[in-house]
Amino acid sequence: MTTTQAPPTEAAKARRVPGQPDMWVLVLVESLIFTSYFGVYLFYRAQHEAAFLQEQAHLDLWLGIVDTIVLLTSSWSVARCVQNARAGRYPAAVRDACVTAALGLLFLALKIAEWAGHITAGHTLTSGEFFTHYFFLTVIHAVHLLIGLVVVGIVVRQLADPRRRDQQVVETCATYWHTVDFLWVLIFALLYVAR
Amino acid sequence: MRPFARGENPKRELWLMWFAVLAFYQLYTVVFFVLTRTQPPGSPSYTAAEVPGWFASHHDGLLVGLALIFVLGGLSATSIALITYTIRRMSVSRAFAYSYLILYSVSAVPGFLFICVALTAGAMRPERDPRLQQWLYDLGFLSFSGTMGVFLVGSLVWMAAILLDRNRVFPKWFGYLNLCNAVTEVVVAPAWIFDRGVFAWNGLIAWWINVVVFGIYTGVFINLLRNVIIREDFGTGPLPDLPPRRARRHTAAAEVA
Repeated sequence: MTTTQAPPTEAAKARRVPGQPDMWVLVLVESLIFTSYFGVYLFYRAQHEAAFLQEQAHLDLWLGIVDTIVLLTSSWSVARCVQNARAGRYPAAVRDACVTAALGLLFLALKIAEWAGHITAGHTLTSGEFFTHYFFLTVIHAVHLLIGLVVVGIVVRQLADPRRRDQQVVETCATYWHTVDFLWVLIFALLYVAR
Repeated sequence: MRPFARGENPKRELWLMWFAVLAFYQLYTVVFFVLTRTQPPGSPSYTAAEVPGWFASHHDGLLVGLALIFVLGGLSATSIALITYTIRRMSVSRAFAYSYLILYSVSAVPGFLFICVALTAGAMRPERDPRLQQWLYDLGFLSFSGTMGVFLVGSLVWMAAILLDRNRVFPKWFGYLNLCNAVTEVVVAPAWIFDRGVFAWNGLIAWWINVVVFGIYTGVFINLLRNVIIREDFGTGPLPDLPPRRARRHTAAAEVA
């Protein structure tokens, strides 16, 4: 029997999680917290199905689809940013991070326009149970997106300065952005699609 | 590590503070959940006619339990002090520690002293005008649940300090857990708008889910503070790793001796 340790195999390298493993605690805890919010929404929806469906009909499904496409594209651009940073193509990585932030801002602008439209039409936080959940879930998601914009700002700062470049930080930030995107896809499916 | 004078045992002093933190949170749980039964909170939808009944059914518990808080509530300072100490042990600016210290010192007033004063005043004179009793009831619970924003910024300060720290005082995942806790503090904000439903101060989202997250967060940070004390070398650089469990037992026995 030999005690010599073999060098890490390609398979072992592939098993490594991207970014700081610590960030996955946030992914897990946030997913659990949002799952509990979704559970509460579904419970109340099952109790008052007719009222929920009536209010839900005021949501524009196409606007939700556009929101989703914008965020999924931002996830694609942040993934390209990570790839470019890994390959040492830093100017391209900075450009991708800026595209991600621009798409995040576009998503926020669309959301604000959507909220303004609903409030003008009389659908507010207190007008009905569906809209209470709608405003709560979309606003708390927007708070996460605002934090995400700060996180993308950190990526740009890291990549733009050769003394600061740290691939692990870039991957950690990208993981956060993907989490925000993933949570939106669930919110979209529950609020806009499931009727 | 600096040399200590004879009879000086700074680690034993830190353990004293840690056990005081443990005692405070136990007292907090027993008083608010068992003695006074003010947690889970009473319903915000109670009318002026119903509130005196709530005070009558909680009368003895409120007076005894909240008297205990007035006597021993100051123990909360040990928790704030120990956390501030650990932030000062980090490589980050002391401004983080001072911000945390000031924020949490201020937040103890709306965080749990306001509710104690308002509900004790309500329990003291049950024959008072029911509308005034309802005012005290609202003031107590709203100050307790609706002022979470103060804690939110404190959590963010602690998070930023942990993520920037190079002395490895706390693991980075706890920095991220601070962010999760901070975001759940935002969720209590609708308690100012709703008097029934999931976002009211006793609601499923505004109270129950938040209290689970806060309970886990508190348990985790008390345990991590314990680890920091075990690892503390009273130096200035990175903290050493946690020693193996068996070695820890010997060291702890030596420290206590």
